[in-house]
Amino acid sequence: MKKNKAKVTPGMVIIYVFLCVMAVIYLAPLIWVFLVSFKTNVEIFNNPFGTPEVIQLGNYIVAWTAGKLGSATLNSAIVCGITLVLTMVIGSMAAFAIGRLRWKLANAALVYFLLGMMIPVHCVLIPLFTRFAKMNLSNSLVGIIIPYLTFSLPVTIYIMVGFFKSVPDELLESACIDGCSIYQMFRKICLPLSRTGLFVTGLMTFVANWNELLLAMVFISDDNKKTLPVSLSKFVGPYNTNYSQMFAAIVIAILPTIIVYCAFSNQIVDGLTAGAVKG
Amino acid sequence: MNKLLRDKKAIIVFIAPAFLLFTFVLFVPICQSIYYSFCDYNALTPPEFVGLKNYRKMFKDDTMVYAMKNSIFFLIFSCISQLIMGLILAGLLTNIKKGRNFFKNVIYLPCVMSSAALGLLWMFIFSPKLGINQILAKFGIEGPLWLMDIKGFIILPMWVIAYVALWQYVGQSMMLYMAQISGIDKSLYEASYIDGCTKPQAFRFITLPLLKPMIGTAMSLNAIGSLKFFDLIYNMTEGGPNHHTEVLATHLYTQGFKYFKYGYASAIGVVLLVMCLIMTGIINRIFKTDDEAM
Repeated sequence: MKKNKAKVTPGMVIIYVFLCVMAVIYLAPLIWVFLVSFKTNVEIFNNPFGTPEVIQLGNYIVAWTAGKLGSATLNSAIVCGITLVLTMVIGSMAAFAIGRLRWKLANAALVYFLLGMMIPVHCVLIPLFTRFAKMNLSNSLVGIIIPYLTFSLPVTIYIMVGFFKSVPDELLESACIDGCSIYQMFRKICLPLSRTGLFVTGLMTFVANWNELLLAMVFISDDNKKTLPVSLSKFVGPYNTNYSQMFAAIVIAILPTIIVYCAFSNQIVDGLTAGAVKG
Repeated sequence: MNKLLRDKKAIIVFIAPAFLLFTFVLFVPICQSIYYSFCDYNALTPPEFVGLKNYRKMFKDDTMVYAMKNSIFFLIFSCISQLIMGLILAGLLTNIKKGRNFFKNVIYLPCVMSSAALGLLWMFIFSPKLGINQILAKFGIEGPLWLMDIKGFIILPMWVIAYVALWQYVGQSMMLYMAQISGIDKSLYEASYIDGCTKPQAFRFITLPLLKPMIGTAMSLNAIGSLKFFDLIYNMTEGGPNHHTEVLATHLYTQGFKYFKYGYASAIGVVLLVMCLIMTGIINRIFKTDDEAM
């Protein structure tokens, strides 16, 4: 073993060269957009790959205010936050019923929820849109929270069922003897023991909803209620000619998820694999 | 305890919110959508039953032909390319020690970013005067119009978009394969090395067969993901030039929410749904038998 470590084989060199090329392919566009977002328009064309001469923070200010990215970020945060909390509550309740309570249709219910994973959002857009328009829910944040919540449930339920099933029976039995009600059992024993699961599913729902474009674009037409991906797509487009401001807007849109990912990368990876490995 | 867990009232309380949401936001609309697909329906008039008219119209609609061709191209390309690249990356990353986490995180990073934003970013990189063409210009080469060329059966913009999709999502497949590979018993490899097996052989005869169920899972995720594909295309080309890069999802959006042809758009949605179900079915069939044999 020791010998292996010290030796540098040509195979290893090739592997590392390949991986470094991959890393460059992945990081170069991100670094490029970051650098360019601090430049002036003229600089982008004259000196595309160098560092900016003077750091132009004005690009960000324009994107944040005139591009309405500020209010969009706030909207996104509100929508994702509410969806996150509701998904956790409703999803883990359903998962508790499926994974822990004893009834005949538990498995059928799980299959019913899992079907939701295979259904593309596009198929329900039109009926939902017309229905919500009648209920005065279109063009309001509530109108996108409800579908987001529904489409986040399958993964949450799926992962949480696994966690609830792994709670040891003895714990529940002793709680039962101590006179614990079913609701207390859920809140005081099962939920705290499945904290990791909640955290992981929460992160995944948050990231997925933060990035969602189609539904938000269809349901919301009021500029002040748009979420981040929609405002971004509107601000950056063929009618805008100020490149550096558009690049600044792109950076604003991807920065939050980069930060979330850097802080919780291990948990996100766990969640991704937990969701698929058991399937 | 048993009695407590069989409490009917509690079961209903726990399951009802999720069940109601699911039924009213997902399953009722799907049934409605299927009904609308047989109707002449736009924003102003109520739905009127016309049978298969919408489906027949699809065959005469040029854009629909492009969209179908492009969606199938995406489906095949993303299944194959993600499988190969995902396996290569996972195989390499599980074999190195230094820097594994760094490479893993870098490659996975785009998966968590907004594909709307990344689509715009790549739109600039492949635009006529910025990004790649600026690099090419330094070497005196005049780069092609990456997103506007419409020559060939599968046009250049489609390859560009397919590449970007691979770039963004290959991390997911890689991650799934890595998780599965790290769960394989090490003694299997040791035994094979004693028998004179080389590393590539070990990968071929031990890793691959044990990965099969996971390949199925990853592939069905890819297949559904590539059919749902919307954000990247919408932001990179908006279906243009002249509808040549339209896919089913963007075509549905334009028909439904720009021209308000709800009936026709619903029919496209049904086609999309059926394709998703068929693909999941096929992939499960292929990989399930091996799963049971193990």
